[in-house]
Amino acid sequence: MSDLNKLTLTQALSDLRSKKISPKELVADCFARIESVDKKLNAFLTLNKKQALEMAKTVDISLPLGGIPVAVKDNFLTKDLRTTASSKVLDNYIPQYSATVVEKLQKAGAIIIGKTNLDAWAHGSSTETSDYGSTKNPWDTNRLPGGSSGGSAAATISDECIVSIGSETAGSIRQPSAWCGASGFKPTYGRCSRYGVIAMASSTDSPGPIAKNAQDAAYVLSVISGHDPQDATSINENPWVIPSKLPDLKGIKLGLPNAYFPSQIKPEVKQFVLQAAETFKKLGAEIIELDVLDPKYAIAVYTIIQRSEVSSNLARFDGIRYGDDRSKFGQEALRRIMLGTYSLSSGYYDAYYLKAQKVRTMIIKDFDKQFQKVDAIIGPTSPTTALPLGATEGQAMFGELEDMLMEPSSMAGLPGFSIPCGFADGLPIGLQITTPQLREDLAYQIAQNFQENTDFHLQKPKL
Amino acid sequence: MKIFPIIGLEVHIELKTKSKMFCACSADHFHVEPNTHTCPVCLGLPGALPVPNQTACEWCLKLGLALNCEINSQTFFERKNYFYPDLAKGYQITQLQKPFAINGKIFLNDHQIRINRAHMEEDTGKSVHLTLHGEDVTLLDFNRSGVPLVEIVSEPDITSAKQAKEYLNKIQQLVRYICISDADIEKGSMRCEPTINVKIETDDGQTVYTPLVEIKNVASLTGVMTAIDFEINRQVEEWKTNGTTKNDTNKTTRGWDADKNQTFLQREKEGSADYRYFPEPDIPPIEFSQFQIEQIKSTLPELPDAKIAKYRALNLSDYDAKLLAQNSDFASIFEKVLDNSTDSEFAKFITNLLIGPLKTISLDIEKINPDYFKNIFDHRNELNSTSIKQLAIESYETGTDPLAIAKSKNLFQISDTSQIEELVKKVIANNPKAVDDYRKNSQSIGFLIGQVMKVSAGSANPQLAKEILEKLLN
Repeated sequence: MSDLNKLTLTQALSDLRSKKISPKELVADCFARIESVDKKLNAFLTLNKKQALEMAKTVDISLPLGGIPVAVKDNFLTKDLRTTASSKVLDNYIPQYSATVVEKLQKAGAIIIGKTNLDAWAHGSSTETSDYGSTKNPWDTNRLPGGSSGGSAAATISDECIVSIGSETAGSIRQPSAWCGASGFKPTYGRCSRYGVIAMASSTDSPGPIAKNAQDAAYVLSVISGHDPQDATSINENPWVIPSKLPDLKGIKLGLPNAYFPSQIKPEVKQFVLQAAETFKKLGAEIIELDVLDPKYAIAVYTIIQRSEVSSNLARFDGIRYGDDRSKFGQEALRRIMLGTYSLSSGYYDAYYLKAQKVRTMIIKDFDKQFQKVDAIIGPTSPTTALPLGATEGQAMFGELEDMLMEPSSMAGLPGFSIPCGFADGLPIGLQITTPQLREDLAYQIAQNFQENTDFHLQKPKL
Repeated sequence: MKIFPIIGLEVHIELKTKSKMFCACSADHFHVEPNTHTCPVCLGLPGALPVPNQTACEWCLKLGLALNCEINSQTFFERKNYFYPDLAKGYQITQLQKPFAINGKIFLNDHQIRINRAHMEEDTGKSVHLTLHGEDVTLLDFNRSGVPLVEIVSEPDITSAKQAKEYLNKIQQLVRYICISDADIEKGSMRCEPTINVKIETDDGQTVYTPLVEIKNVASLTGVMTAIDFEINRQVEEWKTNGTTKNDTNKTTRGWDADKNQTFLQREKEGSADYRYFPEPDIPPIEFSQFQIEQIKSTLPELPDAKIAKYRALNLSDYDAKLLAQNSDFASIFEKVLDNSTDSEFAKFITNLLIGPLKTISLDIEKINPDYFKNIFDHRNELNSTSIKQLAIESYETGTDPLAIAKSKNLFQISDTSQIEELVKKVIANNPKAVDDYRKNSQSIGFLIGQVMKVSAGSANPQLAKEILEKLLN
């Protein structure tokens, strides 16, 4: 057999357990794929080939992810394996410990094959701010994969791995999933431990899976979620469990916010999202138009809070105990440190940070209000499809505008899925599904029902 | 010209919890090999997150209650952002807007010092400056990084160096009473930063205030006093020279040079430091329920002020009461011996017995047997004062009933009148000259009493001997 790297997680697990394939063959095929396409894609920063092949020999395939090759975003610390967050500041940083999510993956038998590219420090929605060059979109290598988890999304959809791990602060799992045609699952804030994830905006950072389909993503989430005593903000809940029987969508009320279709939206994006709404209707769901708080407020709130937290979170990178000094920070990081430092300065704190927190509370309340009317909210993940390389140039607010439709739910800590719902000029279009806190089950139910009745997630880029 | 010093004290208390404030590392850092009590959290490694130490929070609350503070039941941590090589994360986790405890007070004799706040924070690492292989270097030790600290800030109610010392002694006493820290200034587990200025009333009726000065690096209690006195004089002299008075921007920081016994300028324009405080997003807000607060309150031991009042009620002198309440060990031993008695004569009796040993040897409360003291007290009239002290010590050291010791060592005084009369008669017969002397001068009876004591081998009751001598000779 060959091209085992093309398998979905569900297929791979079943083939491994029936001994149809071996972990070694599976891992080897992933590396073969990486060797043939990653020069074009630049999805990986560091490969873990020797270790991974070694592990494949002895891994216990009865474990939940026994023998599954997983790509991990390079802002997750991996013990003894270089971790850079795509910044030259950490160019030669070898962590002394692993992130909780990484430990959970390894304990479940996953084989970490490498670390994927991201916007430096996860600052961005393109991977273009990476100090190691942008990742390219597998559907069109002249285009951006989105970000910040662009490397993970590109690696997954180009079959360089079976499944990958990303992290989202406001769109960083869902937006690259949308632009690459992957299924990305951003859980409730606190559902997955942040311990060992290089902090960007502490109050919204959420690790989550990026997969080839919703079912795979949900399965991985069930492995990496759960309370972590080392993360005080982690929710005191057992790991999330996939519902054993998938309910259908009869009677489910789906909200469609008018404000999620801004004037600058790409017509095909609107068209396919509305078409998806029709599909849901056919599956028994009720579509309800919603008037929600304009997402533009979320952009302002997110920008202030995230920059403030960033300016403080990056202070530890002083080059004294590890890594290089601060002269190695790139433009985007410097810009964010400056803005965050400014907004926290005395005299400005009340006007910016404090006010932002108040508006954040309003956003949360607005979602509470909407969820009294509907079970979940759907809409486009991004107003566009993948933009050309270089699109971020001179656009300091590029990420914020690209992520504006996910920033409200991120600020509210809500779970959300992005799944492919169409194509425009050969580029995938993302549909986002947002549910109340801790209702990952519902987000999955909606995504899975959609994928059981459509084939957008089965399309593959030609590389 | 009259001068009135205005002094506020910022005191840092290092808690003696097992683990650090935000990680599981041992909080012990005194004489520990450098950088051995560290982990990703207290080293500020990427991705590491703080998880608050519950015991430390409870102890901070306990101290707040001991300082008669109100408790902020809804509170949170904040980040204080600044750069220093031994500050691992580039910020210190502390509290600004909502300290655990606010608006307290403590009493020094009749004077009340208001407490502004007691809040929870973490210690920094330590920079060690030394010459290594001929090169001046700074070494960093992160063993102390993240050790729990409580900062107690007083209102500027202190008016002299002597009062500052009393205040610090009182804080130290309270902290040790509730067993949350050794509060040892020399070891650095208690640190003090006075902020001082002086109100000057000039002879022509004007009132002026000198600029605020915060003094850092004072490493002993006497140092605090000397530094305060030095600074008061320095400020008055400076005002005489240049007439500068306090405004919003001229607060300065001065270091204390213990060798030269003087302060020196460290930093000007304190007001310009901007720490960019904001709520710590890695730690959710903290809520203490009324039940929790009550529970912590119930673990407070009886505090020194209450003990002193209780001992005074037993008719002990102010001096004795304070001495016994000085620390909880003394108080516990005293109270164990007292055994709930309200007999003030007994209380005074045991106080006299205990104070000497308490001050000179460290008594083991486990070895103290209250019954022994009761026995000695009950037989106090048959024992001389030397024997009483001897019995108290010996019974403590050997665990033997003092009455048994007294018997075996023949310490009971002869109080049988006829027995003493026999002895007295013998002494009178054998000492005709002394008898003559007495007849001439009654003051010389001492010699004859001494003789009675001698022939009784010290066991005669001297008072009875005197009475009988007088009866037989008059």
